[in-house]
This record gives sequence, structure tokens and C-alpha cells, in this order.
Amino acid sequence: MPKQILSFNVNGDKVDVLVPPYLTLLDALRDEVELTGPKEGCGTGDCGACTVHLDGKPVASCLVLALQARGRSVRTIEGLGTSTTLHPLQDAFVRHGVPQCGFCIPGVLMAAAALLEEHPAPSQEQIRYGIAGNLCRCTGYTKMVAAIEEAAGMMKQGGSAR
Amino acid sequence: MSVMKTTRDVKGVGLSIPRPDGPDKVTGRVQYVADITPRGLLHAKLLRSPHAHARIKRIDLSKARALPGVRAVLSAADIPELKRKAPTRAHAILAIDRVVFAGQPVAAVAADELAIAEEACDLIEVEYEVLPASVDPLKSMQPGAPPVADVGTEADTSEALAHSAVAMAKGETPTKAVNVSQTSTVKRGDVAKGFAESDVIIENTYRVPMVHQGYLEPHAVLAEWDRSGNLTLWASTQGSFNTRSEVADVLGIEDNRIKVIPVECGGGFGGKIRALCEPITAILARATARPVRYVMTRREELEAGMPAPQVIIRLKTGAKKDGTLMALDAETILETGAFSGTVLAVSAVFLGSLYRWPAFEIKGSEVLTHKPSVAAYRAPAAPQSIFAIDSQMDAMARALKLDPVEFRARHLSNPGEPMVNNQPWASMGASEVLKVAGEHRVWTERAKWKEGAAKGTLRGVGISLGGWLGGLQPTGATVKLNPDGTLAVLTGQVDIAGTNIALAQIAASAYGIDIDKVKITTGDTDVAPVTGLSAGSKTIYTVGVAVMQAAQAARKQTFEIAASELEASVDDLELVDGKVVVRGVPNKGVTLQSIGKKGNLYMSKVEPVLGASHPAFSQQAPAFAAQIARIEIDPDTGEVTLKDFVIVQDVGKAINPLAVEGQMQGGAVQSLGIALTEGLIYDDLGRLTNPSLLDYRKLTAADLPNLETVIVEVPAPAGPFGARGVGEPPIIPAPAAIANAVADATGHRLTHLPLTPERIALALAGNGGAR
Repeated sequence: MPKQILSFNVNGDKVDVLVPPYLTLLDALRDEVELTGPKEGCGTGDCGACTVHLDGKPVASCLVLALQARGRSVRTIEGLGTSTTLHPLQDAFVRHGVPQCGFCIPGVLMAAAALLEEHPAPSQEQIRYGIAGNLCRCTGYTKMVAAIEEAAGMMKQGGSAR
Repeated sequence: MSVMKTTRDVKGVGLSIPRPDGPDKVTGRVQYVADITPRGLLHAKLLRSPHAHARIKRIDLSKARALPGVRAVLSAADIPELKRKAPTRAHAILAIDRVVFAGQPVAAVAADELAIAEEACDLIEVEYEVLPASVDPLKSMQPGAPPVADVGTEADTSEALAHSAVAMAKGETPTKAVNVSQTSTVKRGDVAKGFAESDVIIENTYRVPMVHQGYLEPHAVLAEWDRSGNLTLWASTQGSFNTRSEVADVLGIEDNRIKVIPVECGGGFGGKIRALCEPITAILARATARPVRYVMTRREELEAGMPAPQVIIRLKTGAKKDGTLMALDAETILETGAFSGTVLAVSAVFLGSLYRWPAFEIKGSEVLTHKPSVAAYRAPAAPQSIFAIDSQMDAMARALKLDPVEFRARHLSNPGEPMVNNQPWASMGASEVLKVAGEHRVWTERAKWKEGAAKGTLRGVGISLGGWLGGLQPTGATVKLNPDGTLAVLTGQVDIAGTNIALAQIAASAYGIDIDKVKITTGDTDVAPVTGLSAGSKTIYTVGVAVMQAAQAARKQTFEIAASELEASVDDLELVDGKVVVRGVPNKGVTLQSIGKKGNLYMSKVEPVLGASHPAFSQQAPAFAAQIARIEIDPDTGEVTLKDFVIVQDVGKAINPLAVEGQMQGGAVQSLGIALTEGLIYDDLGRLTNPSLLDYRKLTAADLPNLETVIVEVPAPAGPFGARGVGEPPIIPAPAAIANAVADATGHRLTHLPLTPERIALALAGNGGAR
């Protein structure tokens, strides 16, 4: 199948890549834009490891065709925080010892970031439902919830999520 | 093992230090196998059998080979290494003329793009003659059942040895039941007499389905050969040396021809111990003379991974009215799938050894079926065995109207008492763990909490105790002093659980230097000392000793160099703030930096500091966990809601409490998954009916409360700083804790897992829905 041009914004940069029409957004990000932070854990939208923001909303990038992102904005784990400073969520995850194998973490963080943009002061229940689409097999989620709760508190004191 | 005293309190053992790879993990920088893309990379895909049991009448690869972009298409006929009577799953690279489980690889493709490899698989023509399949293990073990293995295939017991060092005499395999691949019997005392003298006898059959380890990163490997016939494997593995040996054995080449680079492992839990897709990927790379990457899909993982065995346990137990245990009669069936490899002995040890039975007989059978072969899953066979024996103990206590904790405590084996295989129990903290759990408010306030149930809601509280014997395997480590006075630790141990930070803490404390001056590296199989698996709760217990001893040796060398410089006796020296000084004369000293530098100066006569240790082990350190569950049940739907959950665990010494808590919580949620939602479900033809993470239901954050952890420290005599293994115990108790809570809430003893709403609602309906 002939490739088509995909022009979109990724983590604030304008990006042009050639993709076949069947390629998923996840594969385009990983293979063409060379951002391997988003992970494929299932390829069917069940595990959440591929979660990115599409125009500010969390999506399972394995279920979105790359060409559906044409002209739109995508934010991946590589765009959370800056090259020198961790986002408060990332910082809290490190300090709370959340990452074990680490494979689910990029997706969990993107889900959590989207949650905090919608609910800056979420309850524990909101946090638990906010990341319910993200499977983690190592942590048991307890430290994850505590880290998100703490990051929310810090962001409220320090200003916006971005 | 003596612990060398440090001259002051360094920042090391006992501190909650976040792992150093945290920043790279939260920013997506850490690379897993699927993230590594060398130039010229080809993508592999396997064509898998849709049938559980079939004869392959014809394979035609010609159309697939003709597809542009396809670089290799192989069937069994193209692989000279392939042998009949494959002793392990890894040896059965591709099916020869018979497939023995749905999902078994039949042909392999390497292509420029994954989409081309997938299309090529669609173009391969395979003609099958479908044969009757053995799907139910109880039927499969009967004479006349459709045979799984080729006649003469040996049972594989290596998993049991690697995991828990349990040795037991093999039983005699009945000749006519062709699918019974291993048997064992252990007995002591007069069981018939014990039951004859019992006042209460309870008999139940417990059943736990096959469950998948559920690691988020599917199996993945990248293989490349050089022109001299040396193979490099970038692998997601729990043991790079084990992967190397297995692949070398399958390919018939020397270990030295293979370099395994252990890439960050996205979870293993036992499922990434044995070789699976490495041999075929290496063969595709050889056939194409290109780097080839193979990443399994989630569907392939669920259909054709290496799950935990289905375990069926019939237990009959007898006791006197006063609670005296009299006899245990047990029969265990471990369904191993298409290849032998379960830990039969471990199951018997847990069924019969945890509590003191004056008379017991435990028979075990490993049964082959036409399903994917099994492997370890965190404390293999222990969650299933403890589910059975602890449910039974709880049922006995209820029948005898005795306190469940006191009843267990009264009969719990003590260190030194014999296990069923007559090995004595090593030092352990089972009774301490049970005591702490029994005094926890979630347990002691259970009556009051149950009174608070809303109308129309059932409440129950359950407790369970389980443990793990602790694995052993030789290992090695080196510790070197750098020219700037920092310390570098090298092992070959794959860090799948945060063990590297804990090992670095051990090095820091044993040498006498702060943790921020210590760096630890997991080397590949070409450079690192030979070491064992990251499995069986033995990394800290064994590799920790190697690191501790290597650090102590480095410290001794450092002190000898300083003693000669300072013209003092080694015994008069101490290490303070990175400086070796004469005790009491803090201004007379030599810095680690200068010692390190002199070991690297041109024409220097000072030997570089290099501590090494390569220990082997014989003393296990059993580790126990108790879990307490508060549940609510909706009697209309049968749905269980977990309200509170407590994990009490003896870790010997928490080297890094933060990491220890993470292990306890993560293991507990896997345990709760076995209890409540997980199970691979097969139809009558041996096909998996839930091959996705939507239908194979793992617990999410929304299913759970916060998990409380209580660390108990009963030092292990041979453990580094007293540490025991931490990984396995927390996955063991929850199935029984939940079943006991369900019994507490409903009066029904449920014995088949998972405890789905359907099972609970049916049980309630059978009792008229009443409490």
C-alpha cells in the first residue's frame, strides 16, 4: 500500500513522516518518530501501556490509526516534563519507588497526567478509576495512587500541570 | 555468616532508597528489546497451529517464500537441530509432523516488515488431520487417553531443582496411563488409624486453573550472528546464563559462542526463565544473516506462553474434638500441558510440612494434556497448595469451633522439625508472622466490623498463612575500587525486582562507604561472573552474599594497602568518610581516592583493589507471609469487594524497605488475581476462549483498596545482614484468605478458583440465598 504523509505535532514539534495507511499511531510514534516511550503490551487497547494524549485527551495509541492524527497534537511520555526537569508526577513516582519493571509506567503517567488536568484535586477513588485502564503487574497500585495523590497536591501549590 | 563491622554508620543497608533507574523509567528512556532497532533489522512471525492435537499432512511454503520482502520461511524440515522426543519446549522449535497444543509454532518467517511477515504466514498452506485431544487432566491421566508426548520422552524436573532445591524420590510411573509424566508419593505413620481415631473428618477437592504470569512486556528477543559463528541475543530474560545454556543446547553449539545481553526485563514472574522464542529467532537470524527481532503478541502470550499449571488437590483431614491433628490424605494433580516440567515435589512439601501431621500420605501426579506447557509463576505450586491446605485448616477450625489463628499456631511446624521429605525445616519466622497477623486490628476487630455491614450486604474476614522454602543457586560478584575512590559492583544477575539497588546497599555497608559512591552493573554473559536465575526469591539471599563477601575482600585489600602506607597494623585501621585512618588518629590517614589511584598509576607497585566472591549454598531460608482480607459480598450478584487487605511478611532484614513493600504489594495483587478473577479457560477442543486482556481479567487499580504492609524481621542465619527472599511469599496466601473470608461471610466453603461472582451467587442460591 502506498505511504502517505502524516504531518502532526508531537511534544510541541512539527513532525512529517511517511506512513502506510494501516499503521497505528503507536507504531508511527515508535518506528517513524523514534519515540519508544509508549509501549505495546497488548495491541488491543486493554492494557494502557501505549497511552498518549491526542489533542489533550488520553487515547490507546494502538487503537488509533496514525493518519487519524493528521494535523493534530500528540503528547507522549517523552513530552511530559522537560529534558532537564521531571514533571511532578514523574518525580513523585521516582521518590515513591513506583517503577519496578517499568513497562507500564509511561502509560500510567500519561493517564494520570490527563486525570489531573481534568480533576486537579482527585479523590483516591478518582485516581483509582483514572488509571483503571492501565494494567500493572508489579506494583499492586498502592504506591502509584499515593504518588499521584502527592503530585496533585504539589501541583496545586505550584501551579499548572504543565 | 559473620557481618563485618563498618567503622561508622554508612548510608547502606536498611534505608528506603529509590532505585537509580527510576528517572529513566518515568521518562520512557529505558529500552526494552522491542525498542532496540539495529540497521538491517528483520521481523519474525510464527505460524501457529489452530488445533490442540493434529497430524501435519502437508506444509507448502512456496507462496510465502515468493512474497516480496520475505527473507526466510522455515518449517521443521529446514532445521537440522530438530529432534523428535523433545525433552523441553525449547527443543521443540517447530512442530515436526504432529502438533500437541493449539498455538504450537509450525512455521517461521523473517521479513523486512512485520506486516509482510504476517502476510507471509497467511500464505503458508498447512493441511492438518485433526486428532482427538486430551484437554481435561483427569481424563488425560486415564489409560487410553489420546497421547501427548512421543513415547520415551523424559520428564523434566529441572524447574523444581532451580526453584526450591527440594529433592524427592521419583515415584514409579504407571505404564498404561501414557500421559502421567511424573509421580511421587510421600507417607509417614498410619493414615487409616489416624482417620479411625478422628472425631472430625473433612474432605474437599480444590481446583486452581492455569493462570498466566501476566508480565506487561511480552516475550521478546533480538538475535544476530557474526561471520565467525558467534551469536548475540538481546533477551528479556530472568537469567542470561540459563538462556545461553538452553539456546546452546538446542542449537548444539558451545556456550562460549553465545553472548546473552540481558535487556531491561518488563516483568517475568517465572515466565521468562525457560527459553521460548530464542532458538527460532536465532535460527531465522542465521538463515538470513541479518539481525532478527521477535516480539510475541499478547494473544500469543496467552495462547502459547508458559502459564502456571492447573492444580487439582483432593484433601482429606482428620482431627480430634480437642483440635489434635490426626491424619492427612492428599492427592495432587499438576497439569503440565504438552511438555513435562512442573514442581511436583514443592506441592507435597507445602501440603504436608507446614503443619504437623502424625500420619500422612501425599500422592502426586504430573499429567500431560494438549495445552501449552507450563513454567514457573512466582512461588510455583505454592499458592495452589497453600490455597488447599489453608482452606482445609480454616474449615477444620470452623468445624471444631476453634480460633483459626490459634488452631494454625498450635500445629505449625517449628524449625528443625522434619518436612515430608524428612529434610528439617530451616530457621524461619512462620510463627512470628502468624502472631503479628493475629494481633492486627483488621483481624482482632473482625466481629465488630462485620456488625457494621449495611443491610443486604454480607461481610467476612479471612486470614491465611503461606511460605516459600527459598531457592539456592551458585553465583558470583566482583567489587573494584575505582581510581577516584568510588566502588563498582559487577554481577551477571538480571535485576527484575529492584535487586540492584539492594545489592549496592549491601556493598556499601560491607565495604564501609556511602551508597552514592557505589555503582552496580549487570554484565552480559561474556563479562559477568556466572550466576543463576532471578527467581525463587534467591537474588538477595545468594547474590547478596557474593556482593557482601566481594566487598569485604575489597575492604581487606584496601586496608592492607593503607596499612603499608601508614606503617600501621591492619587491625588498628578504620574507614571514616572515605579515608582509612589509624583509629584515634583521624589526621593520619590515606584516602580511598589515593588508594584507588595508585592501583592504576603507570609503574605503580600497588595492586588494584578487586574483591571477588563466587559462593555456592546449601542452607535455605524459608520466608512466610500472612494476609488478612476484609470483604463485602453483594448477595444478589455474588460480587466480592475487597475493603481492606493486610500483608504481614518475614523478610529477615529489609535491605531496602521501599523495594520490599513494592514486592509485598505487587505479589499480593497477583495472589488476589488468582483468588478472584484469573484463569485460562479452554473449550472441549483445547482452544483458549479468553485470549485477550479484556477476557483474561487481571485486577486493576479500581478493583483494589490500599494494601497495608507489615514487615517482620526474623534474621536468616546465612542471609546477607540476615535477609531472606522477599519475592515469592506475598503471592501465596490470598486465595485461601479470600476463600476463608467468603466462608466467613456466607457459610459456604468454595474450593474452585477463581471466586467469580457466578460461583459465589450459585453457592448462595444453593443455600436459598440465605446466610
